[in-house]
Amino acid sequence: MKNFNWSKYSKPIILVVFVIVLSILRPKAFLSLDNFSNVLWSVAVIGIMVSGSIFVFLIGGIDLSIATLCAFSAVVVVSVTHMLGDTPVAVIVGVLCALAVGALAGAIHGIIITTFKIPAFLVTFASQSIFLGLAMVFTNNKIVSCTVPAFTAIGAFKILGFPLPVYFMVIIALLSWYILRKTVYGRYVYAVGGNPTASEISGINVKLASIICYVLSGLTTAMGGIVLASMTQQASSGTGSGYTNDVITAAVIGGVSLLGGEGTVPGAIFGAVLMGLLNNGLNLMSVPSTHAGLVKGLVIVVAVAFDAMQHADQSRKKVKKIKKASA
Amino acid sequence: MKKRGIALLLVGFMALSLAACSAEKTVREDPWAAASGAVGGNSNKVKVDPYAGEEVKIAYIAHDIGTPNNQGWKEGIERECASWSNIKVDSYGAEESAEKQVQIMTDCINQGYNAIILQCSDGTALAPSVQQAEEAGIPVITVNLDCASDTIHSALVMAVDYDAGRMAADKMAEQLGETGEIAIIQGVPGLERTDNLERGFRDTIAKYPDIKIVEAQSASFSKDTAITVMNSFLQSHPDLKGVFAINDAMAEGAALAAQSKNKKGQICIWGADGEKDALAMIESGDMAGTIYTNSWDEGSTAAKIALLMIGSEYDYTCLTATPKVIMEPIVVTAENVGTIAEEDRW
Repeated sequence: MKNFNWSKYSKPIILVVFVIVLSILRPKAFLSLDNFSNVLWSVAVIGIMVSGSIFVFLIGGIDLSIATLCAFSAVVVVSVTHMLGDTPVAVIVGVLCALAVGALAGAIHGIIITTFKIPAFLVTFASQSIFLGLAMVFTNNKIVSCTVPAFTAIGAFKILGFPLPVYFMVIIALLSWYILRKTVYGRYVYAVGGNPTASEISGINVKLASIICYVLSGLTTAMGGIVLASMTQQASSGTGSGYTNDVITAAVIGGVSLLGGEGTVPGAIFGAVLMGLLNNGLNLMSVPSTHAGLVKGLVIVVAVAFDAMQHADQSRKKVKKIKKASA
Repeated sequence: MKKRGIALLLVGFMALSLAACSAEKTVREDPWAAASGAVGGNSNKVKVDPYAGEEVKIAYIAHDIGTPNNQGWKEGIERECASWSNIKVDSYGAEESAEKQVQIMTDCINQGYNAIILQCSDGTALAPSVQQAEEAGIPVITVNLDCASDTIHSALVMAVDYDAGRMAADKMAEQLGETGEIAIIQGVPGLERTDNLERGFRDTIAKYPDIKIVEAQSASFSKDTAITVMNSFLQSHPDLKGVFAINDAMAEGAALAAQSKNKKGQICIWGADGEKDALAMIESGDMAGTIYTNSWDEGSTAAKIALLMIGSEYDYTCLTATPKVIMEPIVVTAENVGTIAEEDRW
């Protein structure tokens, strides 16, 4: 037990503690496959988005346009599907168009940020209102609805008790985990985030690496938008409002540093799931909405403090080891 | 529906003229003096006759212009004014921020609009701006959300709130056979309209001893949050028989959640507003009912009053209280949803 690496498992431990506490408090309602499916369903959109946005966070950038790009891509998928006659083929074309919009938006972000050296905060802050404007113009500021079964299935069709978005989240998270952990490009991303100048000198194409990060973020944001539109069977300029905060919060709770170079995909997903569990727990325990914010804040602080403590312990041990060795 | 709309307008104007009548008492001595600013009237008031071809600018300032309700009002105002080429309507959205709305109000006053139609983000925050506009001779007509009650302004056009909750509760109780567990999906706590709706609903449900409100959670008016909230309701209360959502968007979300649990039509889901999508869901059996208010009518009523006030020599100083025009609500269920014509679905 002495050599047990607590810091590595502190996040799963927090989740397990959470699950145990909620199971004791609300055994009947909480502990069922149905409820886990609910929790994962409710965090799927955030999970999908954060799996891509993490690339941007890792290079020390930020994307404030998540919510409105999500709205715009939701609007695109619904409008295109509608324009092409609400057939299954139209749905596929619509989805592809929305993904293209997301990737393009990401590419533009990346190119502007790297070429003109403008802070990502400013560029994405500006584009946030551009996407909102586009979504408003496209829909004439109305809600566009789409109840084509082929489209609504994206957000609600269930396989083995879990709705499709949960599988999307798992697949996309695994993909981006693989890219970050197992590929050369992943190494580059961490290097660029840790020290862009050193990376440049050591021959990494920092510009290209950064642009790809923004493209990936745009892609997953569009995916989130598609899933959200399908779940609610509609899209409007208000779709996904508040998701920018949720995604950034999930990432930060999961140990992703907004200064870049630090953080993992499982960590970010942990952040999303923790928030989902928390909301679910508050709902199941019928905490009135006036108190929910208070409880939520306190629990997040405690959980994050526990996680941070384990990591601090770990680095203290490392320092001790090095000191011992050098002595 | 058309007839109903006209009747509604008449009621509205009666309310307004009644208020004007009571106000008239104070100026009866010399009704024309008001125009010249001698008694009671406001010297800033510029008399313009919108129906005689004089240039008129009306500003519509929404709390969040993207919602179906706001679009309904906006279209209603525009339609009402479309017949006169000299009347121009500009719409502004405050992006759900009271501070922004105050800013827009100030800009509109400075630009010399002839009237302002306002959905107050926050009654207290907006009260000084409303006062300022009225003092500058710009009549302000509030829609649905009033500003602080002691700020007298030209008119408040509103959908019923307390009564809407009451009506939904009675009809839902009837549909449930006056028994069973039900839940409430709340909007953003603290908004007067939503609190009144909930209060009306709770007060009425209390009359039915066998109906128990087992849950009340907020979904912040958002459809996707409502899906999550409804899922957890179904999880903790498998016997849930009914849900009352404070607005239609959340009721639609709840219906989608019920659908995904294969409980389509088994849970009596009620909303309030009467937007197009909710009516379609009542037709398809996903929702049990809603309280319908014609937003187009509401907008055009506000515009009519604005034009009336612009052309009149009376202004807020003649009023002892803000006149209220209350739109007639219609309880919509599967039985009568067909009577709401396509052209009345906003």
